This record gives sequence, structure tokens and C-alpha cells, in this order.
Amino acid sequence: MIKYLLRQLLAWFIRIFLAINITYFVANIFLDPSANYVERRPPISPERIQQMLEPYNLSHNEPLLHRWWDWLTGVVTRWDWGLSPIGGSVNEQIAFRVGVSAQLMLGATIIAFIIGVALGVYSASRQYKLGDRVVQVASIIGLNTSIVVVALVVVFIAIQANRSLGWTLFFVTGSGSIGVEGFGPMLVDKLQHLVLPSICLIFISWASYTMLQRSLLLDNISADYVRTARAKGLPQAVAIRRHALRTSMIPVMVSFAFSIPGIFTGAMLSENIFAWNGMGRYMVTTIYGNDIHGAVAVAAFSSLMVAIGAVLSDLAVVWLDPRVRVN
Amino acid sequence: MSDVLSMMPAAATPKIAGPGRRSHSRMRLYARRFRRNKPAVVGVAIFVLLVLVAVIGPRIARYSISEIDFLALAQPPGGTHWFGTNQTGLDLYAMTVHGLGRSMIIAVAVSLLTLLIASFLGALAAYMGGWVEKIILGVINFILVMPLFLLEALVAQKTGGNWLWLIVVLTAFGWMVMARVIWQLSTSIREREYIAAARYMGVRGVVVVFRHMIPNIGSLLVVQFTLGIVSTVMSETALSFLGFGIKIPDVSLGSMLIDGQSVLTTTPWAFFFPAGTMTLLTISVALMADGLRDALDPNSAAGGRA
Repeated sequence: MIKYLLRQLLAWFIRIFLAINITYFVANIFLDPSANYVERRPPISPERIQQMLEPYNLSHNEPLLHRWWDWLTGVVTRWDWGLSPIGGSVNEQIAFRVGVSAQLMLGATIIAFIIGVALGVYSASRQYKLGDRVVQVASIIGLNTSIVVVALVVVFIAIQANRSLGWTLFFVTGSGSIGVEGFGPMLVDKLQHLVLPSICLIFISWASYTMLQRSLLLDNISADYVRTARAKGLPQAVAIRRHALRTSMIPVMVSFAFSIPGIFTGAMLSENIFAWNGMGRYMVTTIYGNDIHGAVAVAAFSSLMVAIGAVLSDLAVVWLDPRVRVN
Repeated sequence: MSDVLSMMPAAATPKIAGPGRRSHSRMRLYARRFRRNKPAVVGVAIFVLLVLVAVIGPRIARYSISEIDFLALAQPPGGTHWFGTNQTGLDLYAMTVHGLGRSMIIAVAVSLLTLLIASFLGALAAYMGGWVEKIILGVINFILVMPLFLLEALVAQKTGGNWLWLIVVLTAFGWMVMARVIWQLSTSIREREYIAAARYMGVRGVVVVFRHMIPNIGSLLVVQFTLGIVSTVMSETALSFLGFGIKIPDVSLGSMLIDGQSVLTTTPWAFFFPAGTMTLLTISVALMADGLRDALDPNSAAGGRA
């Protein structure tokens, strides 16, 4: 088991390493830090601009491969992700942003998965009844609405709610208020900020699990071994939970890994709408600021999220599926 | 061998007529199954309506998308400006119908191009097997780890809001998931007799892929195509909303939502018209895809009930 896990981790490490380096070169093609100085008055000569960028390892005076090697050795030996075109440390930026993004993504992903699977089981065990129809319609809406639309509608409703209450129940911007003291008030404040973006992320991501879980469970409910379990005298609910659900959960777990990039994109958009200073907002900032090193760090974070999701779903499959023996 | 070859055309001729007739009645079967699926019919109706709006809408608009009406800033919907105006005095009806058309063209083009690339690579991997399959799948799985949205944004922001370039970008970074699906579907038919027969007759690989494999998963490709439209509208919205996709002076439904955020409480119609149109578009296409899947899939549970 440990050996299998180590092999998986190594494979993911290589993939992430390659992905980050490719992103470094792509970012170098499409982002040009010297463009930040073009509009300056009085104008700065191109030579001067390149000179100014030199200490940040962004100057064209040095060949691209040199810059890449300097950057890579910095990352590998000192865990130094480089500097932005104005000299700010990328490490400092990601240090607090990773936490902010994680708060949003982790909770929402787990809740969406639980809701999704639960509703899938519910609607499969009531196939073609009213509950099933309602879940079906809701999941079509959830799957096919852009998170931008969802988030703005949620903001609109929250503002109306705040107005009619006369005090601020939901905060529509930021990840926390400044100057809140004590554990209780801080927790409440955190929740007031967290609840809206989480609702948006959950809204767009639960439905894919429901759809998959429902169709897989329907295939399994009529399987022989479930009928045997029923014939033994198990109630339908227990037969489904212990026998049908276990088998049909496996592909849902696999799909969980593939849903991570979508959740990352969703989190990125909701961070921008709700003004959370997480990795998603950082991505937009780095692209607009021609911050090559920052953009690569965002790429590293998103690849890492995919890897974590994939490894977790792998482990879950091993745990759920007695046929998978990894040694 | 030459005997066999000279016999082939004669033997094949009546069979060509056979599938032709059968596919005609099959079409009617599909249509009947599709019509029994009420949500799918509603989806088609909404979609056709939206296409008409996108085509005819701009012709009957009283204003162009860049024409500023200084006497009517932030006007609610009414007689002169049917959908109202935004805070700079632009006519929201003109922008919405133009944006709808723009989003539709991008979505259909990207989905079609994606389908072509994905079905070629997916079916090729399944047909060739061995190291070709390994390489293609390895590349696909690797690209899926890449931070695709970041790369899309990086490349798209450089193209300056040109919608043709946006099609190229979204296609280049969007074909992998579909290719995997098509590979999966194709592996299930590669062991069939007619593929083996074609192979033993010495038909070249590319021809087998295009003439025998792809047509046989055709019905599933149609479903993939419709689903691709939805996902493209979503990506285009995400890119344009962050300012990397369609930019002023051009307008898409996604780029219209940028304004929506700041004016939600003051001029909510500037958000609700484009957002509503977009949601109608994606949901109607999704309902169509659902209906098509049930109608075309021979193993579909709903097909049996219809």
C-alpha cells in the first residue's frame, strides 16, 4: 500500500514539475513585464526598462533559458518562487492566499460531494417519482448555469435580504472583517463571509455527482447481489446502503478527481466576484500585471489541487473496492 | 484475392441501399422518441427562438451596440430602449441580441472544431492501440493536469478581444475531455466484426477510423457536440467576465456581465437581461442534449419507454 502510494506520488510529482515548467515558458511568451512601463511619462527607453527588470530575473538581456534555470534553482533549492515585476516576493503573496482559497474550496467541495451523492441516492431510490423529477430538474439547472450568473444572483438576493433586515447578515465582499476580536465573534464573522461564495460553488458542483450517482445506482439496484440481499431479509434501504451504494460509489469517487479543475475555475470566479484575496484573484492580478513568476505559482497551486484530488480519490477507490489489491 | 475484390462491389451494392432505407426509418424512430421527451421539445423551442432572436434581433434594433444615448443614461426597460440602457447610455437590447449571436457563434464553432479534433484523436487511439494509444492518452491525461484556465487566460488576453482568436484558444485548450470520452466509446466498438473485416481487407487505418468507427459512434458525437456548446458558453463567459475574452467594442453575453456586478442594486436590468438570456441558452441546449441522448442511445432506458 505504502509502495503504491509512493509510486503514485512520484508520478504526480513529475507531472506537476513538467506542468509548472511548461507554464513558465508559455507565460514568458504571453506576458511581457516591460509592457508595464510603456505608458510611463516621461517615457523610459527600452534598454533602461530591461535594466530595471534585471534584478527581478525578468530582463530580456539574459537569454530565456538562463532566466529559467535561475528561477528553477531558486524554487528547488530555496523554495523561492521569484519576484514580481515591481520587486514583490511571490512567496509572501501565496503564503496567505493559499489559506484563503483553501477555506473556500475545501469546505464547498466536500459539502457539494456529500449533497451530490446523497441526492443521487435519494432520486435513484425514488425513480420516476416526484422527488426524483424535482432533483432531475434542479440538477439540470445546477449543471448548466454559469457561476458568474449564480454568484451575481446570490449577491443580489443577499443585498435585498440585508436591506430588509436593516443590518448586515451577509457580507458580499472580502473574506473577513478587520478588527474582530475573540473566538466567537471571529467565527460568526468568518461564516458571514464564507456562506455566500460557498453557496455559489456548491450550487454549480453538486449536480454532476448526483447525475452520475443516480445512474450508477440505478444500474446496481437491479443487480443480482442486491436482490440476494433483499431475499436474505434486509430492508431495501440497508440493501442499497451496504451493497448497491458501495459498488456504485467507486466511479463517483473517480469522477471527483476530474471535477477539481472545474471547482478551481469556479472558486477563481467567485473569489473575483466576492473580492476574496485568494489564488484566483491573484491569477487575474498576475496576468494584468505581467507577473510571470506569480502566474507560474498560481499554475503550481492549481496542479497541486488536481494531484491532491486524484490521490484522495485513488485512496478512496482502494478503500471501497475489495477487488483492488494494490500490492 | 482478385476474385474476392471483383466480387465485392456487386455484393455490396444491395447492402448500400439497405442501410439507406433503414436509416430513413431510423430517423423517424429517433424523431418520435425525441418528441416524446417533453423537456427536450421545450429545449428545442427555446433554442430555435434564441437563434431567431440572434439573427433577426440586430436588424430590428433601433440603436447599434456602440451608439450612446446621452439623454437616456441608466434607463429602465421601456418604449424606446426595450431592455433599458446601462450607465453609459448604451442600448441593452442591441447589446444583448448582439452578444447572444456572438456567444452562439463562438460556442458552435468551438464545439464543432473540438469535436473534429477529439473524434479523430480519440478514434485513432482506440483503433491503433499499442504505443499510439499510450502516447495519445498519456498526452491527454498530462494536458488535463495543466492549469488550463490560466493558459487560456494567458493566451486570450494577448489576442485583444478578437472573437476569432477566442475560438482558436478555446479549441486548443478544450478538446481533451471530449477526446477521452470518444476514445472510451471507440474502444467498445474496435473489437466488432466489421472493424476486423475492414482491417483484414487491408483498408488503411485512417480510412477505417473515418469511414467505419466515427460514423458508428455518430449518435454519441451529436450528444457530445451539444454538451460542448454548453461548456463553451461557460468558458467564454468566465474568460470575458474577467476581461480576457471578448472586449469593448465587441460584446458577448459574458462581457456584459462585467457591468452587472457594479450596478446590481442601481440598474439590475443591465445584469438580468444578459444573464437570463445566457441561462436560457445553456439550459435549452442541455435539455436538447438530454433528449438526443435518450433518443439516439439504443440502450437508453427512456428509449424503451417511449
